[in-house]
Amino acid sequence: MTTAAIPPNFWTSTRRSFAATIRRDGFGLLAMIVLILVILGPLYSVVLWAFAERWQYPSLIPTQFGLRYWGETFSRADILRALPFSIVLALVVTLLSAVICLPAAYAFARMKFRGRQLLLLSFLATNAFPRFGLYVSIAVIFFRLNLIGTVQGVILIQLVNTLLLMIWIPTAAFQAVDRSLEEAALDVGASPLRVFIQITLPMVMPALSAALLLTFVNTFYEAQGALIVGLPRVVTMPVLMYSLINSQLVVQYGAVVSFVLWMPSLLLLLVANRLLRGGYLTAGFGV
Amino acid sequence: MATLDLIGLTKRFGSVTAVDTVDLTVADGEFMCILGPSGCGKSTLLRMIAGFEMPTEGDIRIGGESVTPLGANKRPTAMVFQKYTLWPHMRVFDNIAFGLQLRRLPRAEIARKVEEALALVSLSGYEGRFPSQLSGGQQQRVALARALVLEPKILLLDEPFSSLDAILRVRLREELRRIQRRLKITAIFVTHDQEEALTLADRIAVMNSGRVEQLAAPTQIYDNPATLFVADFIGAMNLLTAQVRGGQIALDGVALDAPDGVRDGAVTVAIRPEDLALLPDGDHAGAWRASVEQISDLGHYRRAILETPSGMIKIYLPKTAAAEEGSAVSAFVRRYLVYQDGAPPREVTRPLPAQALTV
Repeated sequence: MTTAAIPPNFWTSTRRSFAATIRRDGFGLLAMIVLILVILGPLYSVVLWAFAERWQYPSLIPTQFGLRYWGETFSRADILRALPFSIVLALVVTLLSAVICLPAAYAFARMKFRGRQLLLLSFLATNAFPRFGLYVSIAVIFFRLNLIGTVQGVILIQLVNTLLLMIWIPTAAFQAVDRSLEEAALDVGASPLRVFIQITLPMVMPALSAALLLTFVNTFYEAQGALIVGLPRVVTMPVLMYSLINSQLVVQYGAVVSFVLWMPSLLLLLVANRLLRGGYLTAGFGV
Repeated sequence: MATLDLIGLTKRFGSVTAVDTVDLTVADGEFMCILGPSGCGKSTLLRMIAGFEMPTEGDIRIGGESVTPLGANKRPTAMVFQKYTLWPHMRVFDNIAFGLQLRRLPRAEIARKVEEALALVSLSGYEGRFPSQLSGGQQQRVALARALVLEPKILLLDEPFSSLDAILRVRLREELRRIQRRLKITAIFVTHDQEEALTLADRIAVMNSGRVEQLAAPTQIYDNPATLFVADFIGAMNLLTAQVRGGQIALDGVALDAPDGVRDGAVTVAIRPEDLALLPDGDHAGAWRASVEQISDLGHYRRAILETPSGMIKIYLPKTAAAEEGSAVSAFVRRYLVYQDGAPPREVTRPLPAQALTV
């Protein structure tokens, strides 16, 4: 940081333009403040709790900061089991979803068949109705199939969740690839497979990566399905977090776990956002 | 470098016949333009030659050998597309080198060939650019280099310059002709722009609703359009329908001699605007009495629209010709073509009377 780079009138001019903004756009400013309070307020409290060793009313910040509860949280057997399990589970679900959905997305984008539009819209169904109701009825079927409390059951129900993103974003991405770019590659002698690998795939890669990242993040945080189908034997991190928040007297456990769960998703979402600059998401929802 | 033979080539999409039994032979090193209005089947024809569309019937032979069963990636053709089709994730070098790499050429040879190809299209030094850093004209030149670097037997071009502005289009057209002459490569160029076809082609195939209406050198296409469609499509033409009675073509306000072989009945008379001459106002044999409706000065010549008893007639005059809007003149027909019942046209030329105002 070089303070020398700041022009001498920086602060006065900033203050002046800020005042002008308030005069011009008082409502916008008000809305911004409300949003900051509503969105950042809870985050503020969670972050502070995660690093608080003691926090007594009426102090606005913890009375004693420290990492004591981090050590305690990460020596709990249930967390040491759930964290790696959740990561592996999310990876497996994402991979399976990709194997199932990406060829389907390619077909949706490139082939004309009866009911294409209807099928594409049908993937909205899982998002159009209350998720919980859907899960309960699935759980009834799973119960008969002996899938309750099994890892397979959790994988299946989480796969349902991933369909929309993993179909729609890649479909839009494949559609956005100009066919004549592929024809040009065919024309210079590339086989259809090589055209797909060297021309089509690199052009859809940003969108595919974004879909994979978003799917991983969504799956990693998926709690409702895992809760209904997985318990009592299969416990993922978000499910564990629920029970820590609900049934523990020590607030810090829940806070530390929440904080730990945020970080990867925050980073991945930032990356996904960059990758999605191409407008694939909006293109996908404009089917 | 090779000959191309299309034999009874037909393409149907459902009930629509896009290309209808086309027979065409392109000589080695010839520059052939396929010219026609949009929807005439010219692009489908080219895409069949490239291998992107499979013909419904017929055969395509390159250098005497049938390539019809081969896919686009196996044919010795290379295409320059209408749209910009450089691969956006590859630099210019890789775009051009892609086809060579597929052929497993040594690295040094690839580099040398890419460099030569770029020099050919005057883009040396652009190897490291991405397509998005190039202008439209530069992108199409790279696309041309990408096609030429593979030394294809047939170069195919599908309206490659149609999305460029007029000045650039003319410049690239000249550049393409120069390169084609130098490499002596057989080229098929599809266009709807007749000026492009007339300037580029050794021969032009004029297409209409899936068929070749005329196949000839540019001058012949212009001077002797084989059908009424070609007469109307190429250049400006006055087309007048009339009846033939007793060896005379009875147009309103003028009677022209019917050439030998034209029977009594309906005919269409075609007159190029430059085949009319102005005479002083008065009655002359084979001339309309007319008034000058409108004059436009187009630089090196003047275009006038005359009102005659047969309707509005377009005429080109030298820029020195004295004519004013509203003045009364006579319009003498120096040369005309007579079309009857789909037969080849019959041409009549007549000597210009001495009192002509224009040459």
